Amino acid sequence: MTKTNLFSKIKNFIHSDAFIFLLPAIILIIVFYLIPIVVSVYMSFTPLKNWNIARYIHEFVGFENYWRFLYMVTHDPTVRPIFITTVVFILITLAINVLGGLGLAIATFFMGEREASSTQLLWLLPRMTPIAVYSMIWYYFFHGSEIGTLNSILMSLGIIHNPIDWGQSIIPWGPWMIIIFVNGLVGVSYGMIVFTSAISNIPKELVIAARVDGASNWSITKNILIPLLKWHIVYVTTWQMLSLLTTYDHIFLLVEWGLVNRYYGTTWALYIYNMAFTAAEKDLGLAAATGVILVIVGAILGLLALKILGFEKMVKEPRGDI
Amino acid sequence: MVVVRLVNVTKVFRTGVVGVKDINLTVNHKEFMALLGPSGSGKSTTLYLIAGIYRPSSGKIFFDDRDVTNVPPKDRNIGLVFQNWALYPHMRVYDNIAFPLRIKRLPENEIRKKVLETARMLRIEKLLNRYPWQLSGGQQQRVAIARALVKEPDVLLLDEPLSNLDAQLRISVRAELKRLQKKLGITTIYVTHDQAEALAMADRIAVINNGRIIQIGAPEQVYTKPATVFVGGFLGNPPMNFVEGEIIEDKGKLYIVIAGQKIISPTHYEPIVRRRGLRKVIVGFRPEDTMILPECRDRNECVKGMVYAVEPMGREYIVVADLGGELVKAIVPRTLVLTDDQEICLCPSLAKIVLFDPKTEKSLESLAAEKD
Ligand SMILES: Nc1ncnc2c1ncn2[C@@H]1O[C@H](COP(=O)(O)OP(=O)(O)OP(=O)(O)O)[C@@H](O)[C@H]1O
Ligand SMILES: [Mg+2]
Repeated sequence: MTKTNLFSKIKNFIHSDAFIFLLPAIILIIVFYLIPIVVSVYMSFTPLKNWNIARYIHEFVGFENYWRFLYMVTHDPTVRPIFITTVVFILITLAINVLGGLGLAIATFFMGEREASSTQLLWLLPRMTPIAVYSMIWYYFFHGSEIGTLNSILMSLGIIHNPIDWGQSIIPWGPWMIIIFVNGLVGVSYGMIVFTSAISNIPKELVIAARVDGASNWSITKNILIPLLKWHIVYVTTWQMLSLLTTYDHIFLLVEWGLVNRYYGTTWALYIYNMAFTAAEKDLGLAAATGVILVIVGAILGLLALKILGFEKMVKEPRGDI
Repeated sequence: MVVVRLVNVTKVFRTGVVGVKDINLTVNHKEFMALLGPSGSGKSTTLYLIAGIYRPSSGKIFFDDRDVTNVPPKDRNIGLVFQNWALYPHMRVYDNIAFPLRIKRLPENEIRKKVLETARMLRIEKLLNRYPWQLSGGQQQRVAIARALVKEPDVLLLDEPLSNLDAQLRISVRAELKRLQKKLGITTIYVTHDQAEALAMADRIAVINNGRIIQIGAPEQVYTKPATVFVGGFLGNPPMNFVEGEIIEDKGKLYIVIAGQKIISPTHYEPIVRRRGLRKVIVGFRPEDTMILPECRDRNECVKGMVYAVEPMGREYIVVADLGGELVKAIVPRTLVLTDDQEICLCPSLAKIVLFDPKTEKSLESLAAEKD
């Protein structure tokens, strides 16, 4: 493609309706995604420390930060747990989010109207509660002393005699269980809402027809609802995976408050945040490099998931006109 | 051998909307019953009540002598075809038809046999490997019927199965469907808002409006002897003409005055009119039972009118005539040459006139039957 050709194409695009339609999205992407990424990539090639921008901003160290990252992953014993934790956390929480959301959407589909809406509201509560309040509830629930709700219940039932420090003593499954539980509960509602609205778009005659033929709820679920929700399952899985890869707000508080182990309770995203904002020596160059790699991994995983699950086909195949 | 019987069935929805009210209907063994009514009249509600998808608020439903009022749909052995056909979009035609049998856990070779047999009967055996979206409307409709028939139901329920097809196809399919129903001998209830469909296919028609059944009878009877103004106006294309008439007596004979002109009252109505002392009636007559003459001379069953418009319909003409300000229609042979605003003479066949009571809009016959 020649330069003028590309130039005139861009000019044409700018004058088209599509451009006006996409403009708000384009601005948002530039401000909140492209600029931060460019800044991060830039930072990852500098030895920036402790936000001392004036001093380090013009110094270039090439791929040094990336090599340091690689070295850390392979040699630093405190970094390995963070990556294992990230993988375990994402896989199990994702399964809970998607299957839980699907299960709830289908269960409420078979319920009466009133039960359905109150069940859904109940599951939306974690999402509607402010993060700090929500984290506080589970902080006290899993607290390692006898004031912890879980401990006091188990002790009063006589199942245990001394309080268990769930997040600090049972390594690694204690802290894993807590961060998975807390995030899993929040994430379920997203799938639930997407699947519920998808189910409500399935013509009710399909379900009635199956019922008339004698199909049980389980058979309707397996033979009709789930096959028809295929694309929504793909979508929710991909979306949730990416959002779990980058989430750190609840986990940050649970680690900060000392509820869960610092190494087996920290995920990659939180690790970056700590490196840049809370560590004694804020190694911003390294944090930026780690962040850039996270974005690349996220992009690859996202594309891979869509590829494997056939999202491409869903986007390309026009549904409506052929 | 199934006779479907609804006794005083009422369905009030949770929203308070009355779906149907006091439905009494018996569909005999092997009978093809059409449930005919306008949109929102309660046709689908009635069908779903028979299927067991809705529970009646009151009343009972019987299949033969078995009270099925509280029996779930799956234990009623019915085949149901929906207006939108409700084919499972993710299943091939074969699997769509096989679905009811798979639910019953029949052995796969038996399923295969039955699916092929049914597909052959509906001439869709070449389409078994396709998905529903790869089929034309007519083909999808056959698949839906095949899926309803494959489990050999006692009762076949069809909810406007032809309404999504084009006019040509509708006419060819309805003959086929009627033949199939007679061949299989299944008690069939067929919901439609298309009066031509009901007249063409059904053994009997139940006309329903505002959730109530207004008239049940053979097509001929419902057509020629409508029980209410609504039925007369709903059946027929063009529908029955209605004009207001005043009853007068002259020298011991009854006459009806229409648009200031006197016609003789049909003799078979005389006793009822006299007994009830009616002064006013609605006169109903069908366009095809109306003759048009160039001049009236002294025929005492004719009235003068004016040609308002002539609509050539191919086989015949529809003449729209102005009768003292009211428009009425008549079907005439193409040989008649008429021009707009020409004065003509309209002669409804006296034997086929139907008189209605203006207050209740019921035909005088049905009023008489009610009182006796
Ligand atoms: N599930 C429901 N809940 C509340 N009202 C309903 C429900 N189903 C039907 N109705 C109401 O009951 C009445 C009869 O509806 P029905 O579906 O039986 O009409 P229909 O004769 O089949 O009409 P159409 O030819 O448009 O299909 C309508 O007023 C409709 O709004
Ligand atoms: Mg309907």
